[in-house]
Amino acid sequence: MMMNNDTTNNAVVVEGLTKRFGRFVAVDNVSFTVRRGEVFGFLGPNGAGKSTTIRMLCGLLEPTSGSATVGGFDVTSSPDGVKTTIGYMSQRFSLYEDLTVEQNINFYGGIYGLEGERLKERKSWAIGMAGLKGKEQQLAHSLSGGWKQRLALGCATLHEPPIVFLDEPTGGVDPVSRRNFWDLIYSLSSRGVTVFVTTHYMDEAEHCNTIGLIYSGKLTAIGSPTELKHKLDRYRIFEIRCEHPVDAMEQLQKQPWVVETSIFGSSFHASTLRDVDAFSEIERVLAQRGIALQRIEQIVPSLEDVFIHLIAEEDAKPHNNAS
Amino acid sequence: MSITLIPIVRKEFRQIRRDKRILGVLLFIPALMLLMFGYALNFDVKHTSLAVYDEDMSRTSREFARQFWNSEFFDLKYYLKSKGEINSLLDGEKVRIVLVIPSTFSKDLARGQQANVQVLVDGANSFSAATIIAYVNSIVQQYSLNVLATAIQRSSGGVTVPIDFQPRVWYNPELLSARYLVPGLIAFILMIVAVVSTSLSVVRERELGTMEQMMVSPIRPLEMILGKTIPYMVISLLASASILAVGYLLFDVEIQGSLLLLFVVTFIFLLGSLGLGLLISTVAETQQVAFMIAAVSTMLPTFILSGFVFPIRNMPIVIQAITYLIPARYFLVALRSIILKGVGVSAFWDQFLFLVLYAALTIGASSYRLRKLLY
Amino acid sequence: MKTILHIVRKEFLQFKQDRKMFAISFVAPVFQLLILGYAANLDVSDIPVVVCDMDHSRSGRDFVTRFTSTGYFRVVDYVDRLQDIDHYIDDGHASMALVIPHGFQKDLGAGRPSPVQLIADGSETTSGGIGLGYASVITSRFSQNIILESLSRRGVSALPPRVNAEFRVWYNPELKSRNFMVPGVLGLLLMVMTTILTSLAIVKEKELGTLEQLIVTPIRPRQLIIGKIAPFMLIGIVDVVLVVGVATFFFDLPLKGGFWLLFALCLIFLMTTLGLGLFVSTVSRTQQQAMMTAIFFIMMPMIFFSGFVFPIENMPRIIQYVSYAIPLRYFFVIVRGLFLKGVGIATLWPQAVALLVFGIAILSLSVLRFRKRLA
Repeated sequence: MMMNNDTTNNAVVVEGLTKRFGRFVAVDNVSFTVRRGEVFGFLGPNGAGKSTTIRMLCGLLEPTSGSATVGGFDVTSSPDGVKTTIGYMSQRFSLYEDLTVEQNINFYGGIYGLEGERLKERKSWAIGMAGLKGKEQQLAHSLSGGWKQRLALGCATLHEPPIVFLDEPTGGVDPVSRRNFWDLIYSLSSRGVTVFVTTHYMDEAEHCNTIGLIYSGKLTAIGSPTELKHKLDRYRIFEIRCEHPVDAMEQLQKQPWVVETSIFGSSFHASTLRDVDAFSEIERVLAQRGIALQRIEQIVPSLEDVFIHLIAEEDAKPHNNAS
Repeated sequence: MSITLIPIVRKEFRQIRRDKRILGVLLFIPALMLLMFGYALNFDVKHTSLAVYDEDMSRTSREFARQFWNSEFFDLKYYLKSKGEINSLLDGEKVRIVLVIPSTFSKDLARGQQANVQVLVDGANSFSAATIIAYVNSIVQQYSLNVLATAIQRSSGGVTVPIDFQPRVWYNPELLSARYLVPGLIAFILMIVAVVSTSLSVVRERELGTMEQMMVSPIRPLEMILGKTIPYMVISLLASASILAVGYLLFDVEIQGSLLLLFVVTFIFLLGSLGLGLLISTVAETQQVAFMIAAVSTMLPTFILSGFVFPIRNMPIVIQAITYLIPARYFLVALRSIILKGVGVSAFWDQFLFLVLYAALTIGASSYRLRKLLY
Repeated sequence: MKTILHIVRKEFLQFKQDRKMFAISFVAPVFQLLILGYAANLDVSDIPVVVCDMDHSRSGRDFVTRFTSTGYFRVVDYVDRLQDIDHYIDDGHASMALVIPHGFQKDLGAGRPSPVQLIADGSETTSGGIGLGYASVITSRFSQNIILESLSRRGVSALPPRVNAEFRVWYNPELKSRNFMVPGVLGLLLMVMTTILTSLAIVKEKELGTLEQLIVTPIRPRQLIIGKIAPFMLIGIVDVVLVVGVATFFFDLPLKGGFWLLFALCLIFLMTTLGLGLFVSTVSRTQQQAMMTAIFFIMMPMIFFSGFVFPIENMPRIIQYVSYAIPLRYFFVIVRGLFLKGVGIATLWPQAVALLVFGIAILSLSVLRFRKRLA
């Protein structure tokens, strides 16, 4: 349970990590560090390489090239060491459906070497944390989605690991449970546990200390939520509501001073270059088209905006086929 | 109805094609098995290891002993000098038969008397022991008759052997075990292949959670059954054809009877067996249990109770009644009749009826179970 | 060590959960041994014969009695015309036909050879071959007697020389095939049960995704493998006790060797089959694959090449070499030795060692193959 002595402040150090499946590059030369005790989020669309990265860091997959150190242990040469310092929760529920809640906890506790008083203590903590009091004799199979996730988190942290990897922990869970789950993550973090989360929910990413944006296997941006949002400082973002939004978006997209448009619920966002009098220009273009403008407001960019921009920029780059 | 059927069939085919190993197994293994087993297995008891203890050591005794190992039935492994080794050779299964020729052998024959030899046989495998005894007997009788005839020739000139024994074997003139075994092997292999291929099909979806998706779709049980059966039926029929081809090419098993009848009978049997697999797959809750039920209910029972190796006639009446539950039993009779005897349906119409009943029962039962699962 | 216990406990908890698996693991072997033990019977007797007697003489009837009095043959009907034989054999009502030609008695009296036909249904080689064997012995004895009678009628007093074979059958004097078959079925049952149990053991976790959670823990491959096997070893032991009990008490099979030796050797045998199953589990991606692999590449070859019914000596050289790799082969020698021959470890040590080596090898292979990685 102890980390290797020569880590100071970094729980996870990743350098040039790459994973190839045949010709397909799932993770492309990714480098970053995660500080001890922080909540690090890996954000990206499905298929971007999040799960693959996490699996490499947990010692489940062998990297094709590059290196990573988790808790002071190298994932390639001492995966077993890595496994002693981490807890892992996979995307898909991977506990035993044909065992009860209690039986599952007892099993994993035993595997991690917990026994006697310690086991009892951790068991009641896990049950309490997951809100499963009274459900101990229920088969895991019969729990609903939210409870299953919490049980999985409990089993992953029974042995009080200093680093925890959570792969899409809130997939398919209702918003209230998602909120509660993040409270749990915070409480872990407040006790000095390093939490590495992957998610494709933008709003969850706001909760993290640091976010890494991953797209097509590449790490396109990394920083705190605020830092990332500042990346869009050279643009102005507007939220526009009007009739025929799609039509309006098409028209605006044609303008050279418009960088990006994207739909947001019943309105849409448009980002423009700074040195343009955007308000009047937008009104003009829409009027020309005969589209009635209902509302226009300049807004502070959200992470989603950041994300869309960065992806668009990535897509616009000439693709090198070296990989 | 057929509109929803086609996507199901396509999906099953695609899933099968994706798993190359399973496809390979289902298509090629049956023929491969026939190849292996057909060459390896036979009831001919040849090359039985023999030890000879000759106390006489005369030219006559050696000539007598030579009758044994000159034949293809026996291989001389040990020529013993003393009696002591006999026990350990038989105990350790190093030889199966010991021929003991007494010291008075040649003298008795010269004096015109009966000479006795002792044959010790390992009776553990009673079947081969009985066959061995029969071979030994015929060798001894042959030798004896020759001795007799020579002696008589010398004394009273010319006596012919009274019974001109003309054995004729129908359908399998050389008594090739292969001919006999091939239909049985085909029945056995096809039974296992068919049941095994469908026995995981439904329960797999349950265990992996994809069943739910099926349940909300407008699929009807019969469609699902047909959808799951058709691909495996196609594969099984292909496998059957390849088995028969191997049988013909390598074992000279020519189909004496009607090819069409053979096809129909095989089709019905496969339908029933695929249905059985499907039924198992709807009854079991996990793949492991389905596997157990499928393997335990088909492998040994079919091997032993279908009439493939052990003649049903020899079994106690109660057991004979139980063999009626073994579908391969009917199929085997039909196979033997069509392939080896070349007769028509009239010779085995009752078996045919049972096969049809089998198919109807299993498909019907699967439908019923599936309906309960889907709704 | 404690980790292993945790895994064992988990496996047992899961096993208990599944009622069906529980029942099948213990009930099926006993049930099957009862039925199959009775069914597996190669004693050839009561071969149905149809007689076409065209002579209607006393000699002819006498000849037929020689057949029926042995107990090997049973006359089902008499016909007058040769053509009538056909449908008896075609329909399977008779396996043999004995044709006594017109003028049989006269020819015998006049010292002329008489052509007696024996027609056997070759599609049933077991009874066909042995039946012919018996028939030829009976006929040549009959011939021999005729010759001797005619000689004594001619006044030849001294009986000419002939050879007589005295048979002594070891281990199984009544040549009851049951004594051979029941231990054989026992071995087969154990093999089938234990291979099934373990071959899905690891794949199931792979397919359901629980393996991922397991290999992310500090558990070592060795611990996982042992933990997975141990519970099935225990179940296998219970099965051994059950079937040996049935064999000894129900079938009156004499256990001439020591019980504890049998027990110990069964354990070693179990190690090999469990190991094989586990190995299958490590090389398969899905449970369906594991099932196919286990059935077609492990169980079927074992059934055919282990020497259960088909003697290994008769197989082509290559297959004989292959059979050395089949644990069941050694187990049969052990089981026959202990039940029928009453031998001890002094004779059986080669087999015991072979099994031990195989078991350790296959388990080590499984451990090596199972690396704690997903890819």
